[in-house]
Amino acid sequence: MFENMLDSYAHYNNLRNMNTYFKVLFSILTMIMSLISTSPVVPSIIAVFMSALILLKAKTPWRFYLKFLLIPFSFALLTFIFMAIFFGVGAHVLELGIFNLAVTQDGFNLGLLVFARIMGGFTCLAFLALTTPMNELFKTLEIVKMPKIILELAMLMYRYIFVFLDEAINMYHAQETRLGYSSLKKSLNSLGMLASNLFIKTWLKGEQAYMAMESRCYDGSIKTMKKTESIKDIGARNLALLVLFEVFLVSVVYFTANFRVF
Amino acid sequence: MNVIETKDITYSYPDGTLALKDVEFNASKGKIIALLGPNGAGKSTLFLHFNGILKPNKGTVRVNGEPLKYDKEGLMKVRQKVGIVFQNPDDQLFAPTVMEDVAFGPMNIGLPDEEVEKRVKESLERVGMEGMENKAPHHLSGGQKKRVAIAGILAMRPEIMVLDEPTSGLDPKGASQIMHLLYQLNQEGMTIVISTHDVDLVPLYAYNVYIISEGKIIKEGSPLKVFEDVETIRGANLRLPRIAHLMEILEKEDKLPFDKPYPLTIGEARRSILKEFDDKG
Repeated sequence: MFENMLDSYAHYNNLRNMNTYFKVLFSILTMIMSLISTSPVVPSIIAVFMSALILLKAKTPWRFYLKFLLIPFSFALLTFIFMAIFFGVGAHVLELGIFNLAVTQDGFNLGLLVFARIMGGFTCLAFLALTTPMNELFKTLEIVKMPKIILELAMLMYRYIFVFLDEAINMYHAQETRLGYSSLKKSLNSLGMLASNLFIKTWLKGEQAYMAMESRCYDGSIKTMKKTESIKDIGARNLALLVLFEVFLVSVVYFTANFRVF
Repeated sequence: MNVIETKDITYSYPDGTLALKDVEFNASKGKIIALLGPNGAGKSTLFLHFNGILKPNKGTVRVNGEPLKYDKEGLMKVRQKVGIVFQNPDDQLFAPTVMEDVAFGPMNIGLPDEEVEKRVKESLERVGMEGMENKAPHHLSGGQKKRVAIAGILAMRPEIMVLDEPTSGLDPKGASQIMHLLYQLNQEGMTIVISTHDVDLVPLYAYNVYIISEGKIIKEGSPLKVFEDVETIRGANLRLPRIAHLMEILEKEDKLPFDKPYPLTIGEARRSILKEFDDKG
């Protein structure tokens, strides 16, 4: 269900019709800024700014966005905690009182930086994922000369994720109806059967799909039409904004290079 | 003239099960031909012979009078002439958007982009799916997917369209929309072959009916003629159309003077009932 919703938002949001190349360029450049920054300031700015864009401009429902954000957030938080405690030497900022563990100055700073970078980078990706349908990303990848075979595989995978997701959900419901998930042991058993069944189904479906493609004169490579959008359609105004924003970020990166909390 | 002609084709699956045995199937130009049969009778397998996806172990397939050639060039040619719409649209729609999927066939033929674009537009309009170009297939309903699958074949401009269970899994309205579309295409000169077990829908449209059971054609002819042979129909796990069944009961149980061939459609039944009344009154 989650994947379905994610895909729906990518198709129906207020930034859907913005030039794809612009969106890709914007999020990748901004992500690079987040990564080159040596202090947590810039990544934090980026995380807030991107989230604002997603919520206010693209009008993605905030409930969904928070749920979406929760996964990387919990990962980032764990990383932060472990880094703060186990990394680095130097002055202790906080004594934990068990096993002689303590948060070190080094560790805290490094942890915070990694945490900020994760959130900054992730929000950039989220911006892309929530405003741009996959098929348009595929076209962009074609421009940057991604090997065709990888693109075709990605295209087919993307399409069939939803087909198999449906199948899996149906099978799951069918198993649930017959109390397949009423205890831990039964759950494991049922899940195993579901997985193996799904595997066999992918095989059969693959063969069917291949026959259907062959019927339409498939010769081993999927030919695509000319692009309807081009990089030139970004427009001077958007390009200027993009450059200004990135220059602003670079200067903040420069001036906050040595900023530390402790 | 027969646009598709199979002569004594026999096919067994790699595991040895015999799927088709000495099948003779002819589709005459510009007609709607129905292939009726229960599940697993070999309908889909037979269809896959029409454009060379499967090669018979024995026998020949002719399209427009020419025997099928199974080299690359021959297959390219026959697949442009004979378009197959698969039963499950999810097997057929593979591209991330409707437009790309419909464009797949014409692109493979090697048409220039402008022509492809024109054909995509036309085909989508034809099936009533204009404006959906950028939708993802998984955001469409079952009936819409089916129509996109048909558009994907239409865009290749085939002479013959073969549809495997075109109405299965659709609601009554969706099913009748699809049948109506096929009827229109047929009126414009396209030969249409459909497999189905929906016996109520077939007599409305079909010019000729084949009954297949366990890989063998057991009956062939006009709908009236085929449904006259009630025993064969029932023996093949099929049934009479509801209307014909009603007329049969009226004759056998109530001794009303309706006789074989039983009317198959509401229109025909209405006429014969009115005729009875007129004769009496």
